[in-house]
Amino acid sequence: MEITIWSGWFAGIAIGLFVTLHFWLLGKPAGCSTGYGNLCGLVCKRVKFFRMGEYTDLNNSKLWFLIGIPLGGLISALTSVDSWHLSFDMGMYEAVLPQTYSAKAIWLIFGGMLLGFGARLAGACTTGHALVGGAMLNPASLLAGAVFFCSALITTHLLFGF
Amino acid sequence: MTMTKKVNIIALGMGALFGFLMSRAGATTYDFHAQMFLFQDFQLMEVIVTAVVVAMMGVFTLKYFRINAVVTKTPVDFVKKPYQQGLVLGAMLFGIGWGMTAACPGTIPAMIAEGKIGAIFTFVGLLLGTMAYGVLQTYMHHEHPKN
Repeated sequence: MEITIWSGWFAGIAIGLFVTLHFWLLGKPAGCSTGYGNLCGLVCKRVKFFRMGEYTDLNNSKLWFLIGIPLGGLISALTSVDSWHLSFDMGMYEAVLPQTYSAKAIWLIFGGMLLGFGARLAGACTTGHALVGGAMLNPASLLAGAVFFCSALITTHLLFGF
Repeated sequence: MTMTKKVNIIALGMGALFGFLMSRAGATTYDFHAQMFLFQDFQLMEVIVTAVVVAMMGVFTLKYFRINAVVTKTPVDFVKKPYQQGLVLGAMLFGIGWGMTAACPGTIPAMIAEGKIGAIFTFVGLLLGTMAYGVLQTYMHHEHPKN
């Protein structure tokens, strides 16, 4: 569906203020991908990794932050000009992705696996590294952010053909 | 109300705000990702650059005035993600996933709520990938420690 989009600079200022507000209210950096580990720990109790360290207490702010995201997405969709409806249309990607529904689903699951595994191996995702880490000028985050971007850029160019 | 409960409720609200902003910024719209990487449209580039600069000023302000966190009343922890082994490889895999799905972990839950069916599959994959990492870590470091 068509979502109402703000101009880039305005949305950027809002997100920058959001990062600051998150620090100010909760006293720690915002992040998304860690919360997926909370979900894994709740689904599968036998994997020790999701029961120790930062996952000792699964009922924490990372989990509730992740649960909050769809609420915001829903509000955004409901207040957009276009009415809410289900859609499997992926815009420009329709031309380059597998044409059948099942093949497209498998493609997306595989891509999602790379996102999930890669985020844990890198320590954070676009939010934790590129956005929040970038704002703190953390060298490891700047490196990760640059590699995220270059890798996605090459992948997209390979997909759409040079 | 206990502190944990208070923190979790604020986190829920902040998650909702984040999802709304990601959506309004265009980060939940597939085409903006392709257009950025193909140098056709710089909406998302404008968003991230502006956001990082504004967040940098925000972090500087909070640090300068040594402001305490509102909810916990404790000093703000500007903890930085450390460099960890596998960071570059992980970031490369992540980037391939980003290019393949036009989404990242923070936008996927919002995309599902917008009615994007594709995001459901990406979400399943994300859980599987995260789970695979946890299983690997558990198996390698905890049940079979190197002697």
